[in-house]
Amino acid sequence: MLSIALLLLAPAPAPAPQEVPRLSGWITDLAGFVESGDRSAMEDLIGRYHAGSDNEIAVLTVPDLGGRDIESFALHVARENGIGDLQQENGVLLVVAAAERRIRIEVGRGLEGELTDLVSGRIIDLIMVPEFKAGKPSLGIRRGVEAIVAAAGGDLSAIPEDGDRHQGGSGVFGGLIGILVLFFLLSMLARGARSAGGRRGGGLGGMSGMLTGMLLGQMLGGRGGSGGRSGGGFRGGGGFRGFGGSRGFGGGGASGGW
Amino acid sequence: MLILLLVIGAAVIGFFLYTGAKNGAVKRDEAVKAGWGNVQTTYQRRLDLVPNLVETVKGAANFEQDTLAQVTEARASVGRMTVDPQALLDNPELMQQWMEAQNRLGGALQRLLVVAENYPELKATQNFLSLQHELEGTENRINVARQDYNKVVADYNTFVRKIPNTWFLSDAEFPVRPAFEASAGAEQAPQVKF
Repeated sequence: MLSIALLLLAPAPAPAPQEVPRLSGWITDLAGFVESGDRSAMEDLIGRYHAGSDNEIAVLTVPDLGGRDIESFALHVARENGIGDLQQENGVLLVVAAAERRIRIEVGRGLEGELTDLVSGRIIDLIMVPEFKAGKPSLGIRRGVEAIVAAAGGDLSAIPEDGDRHQGGSGVFGGLIGILVLFFLLSMLARGARSAGGRRGGGLGGMSGMLTGMLLGQMLGGRGGSGGRSGGGFRGGGGFRGFGGSRGFGGGGASGGW
Repeated sequence: MLILLLVIGAAVIGFFLYTGAKNGAVKRDEAVKAGWGNVQTTYQRRLDLVPNLVETVKGAANFEQDTLAQVTEARASVGRMTVDPQALLDNPELMQQWMEAQNRLGGALQRLLVVAENYPELKATQNFLSLQHELEGTENRINVARQDYNKVVADYNTFVRKIPNTWFLSDAEFPVRPAFEASAGAEQAPQVKF
């Protein structure tokens, strides 16, 4: 018996192509989360960013997902609405589902280098979710959009790291002191070894220098590494003139919930 | 005279049917290959994450060795398999073996993440949290790539089996291609949830 369980002659039962919301602007707030001040601020930001970079960022809030998971829902919405330029595949969709309390950032293939899964996840977990938990969804969405714009432009300085959530202020402080102490000890060791003379001392000194270098590199490395294409200057406003028609979404991005 | 016209007419019609079948099949076959390539890329992406994950978990004080060993083994067995996309696509049984190896790895990874729940100090590390995001993203990409592949395969299979296309296309050149089963047990990508 050929155990070809993979073989499936009937047409593949892809998720039923249910209807998805048509997006008629940068912000489509079907769940009624977004306050008018935040709305105009976001429309302004996204519009100017689009004019400068060509990247398209859309926001959709829905009352519920109708039984689908947010991953397939967001993918479907993004592809059906064609967010992003056809060639550049540079669309981003931020979805917030009220009933399920879920958030997803869906990233087009062209922006996966800037908005990695990791960065998207941190934007949700560390920037948006705290605001949602504090009962300020409108602010959460706005902060999320601001972070997406910054990160898509290659600026990761606004994106906190996971450790921050668990350590808090004192933890970071304690860590810094620890590293300073280590640094101090190593330099003492190096100095001691050097003054003790001999060739071995040089080796020790070199090693401690390398170690401190590694430590510093580790500390700085996390925050650095932005580079890449910059967001391009904002070239004045730009109204919404429809999406670029890209279907280039491969499941990149991240999900979270509050 | 009439007969000559009829023969010419039949030849012309036959020619157009032939080119339609052949060109249509080639186009869809290319879409299937691209889709399958994409599936393999996403699985490769997951494979590339594993060593890093294993290293990070090893760092945790006395992490359960069995779980770790299973992941390493599953990764090794995937690594030993052929990865030539065309070879897998042309050989359903090979593809099946490859999928099973990938599923074992998926299962082992899922167990690893479940076990990691018992190690709060591990879960709080920067590295682990980053890997968790990456792994979630990769599982989602795998799902998307599989669904996309299924769509193009369904389109291809329907086309090559249709009359009159099937009269003109050889089974060797344009065989019916396997699709993924929707979500049968282990086939389902593990849900990475914390």
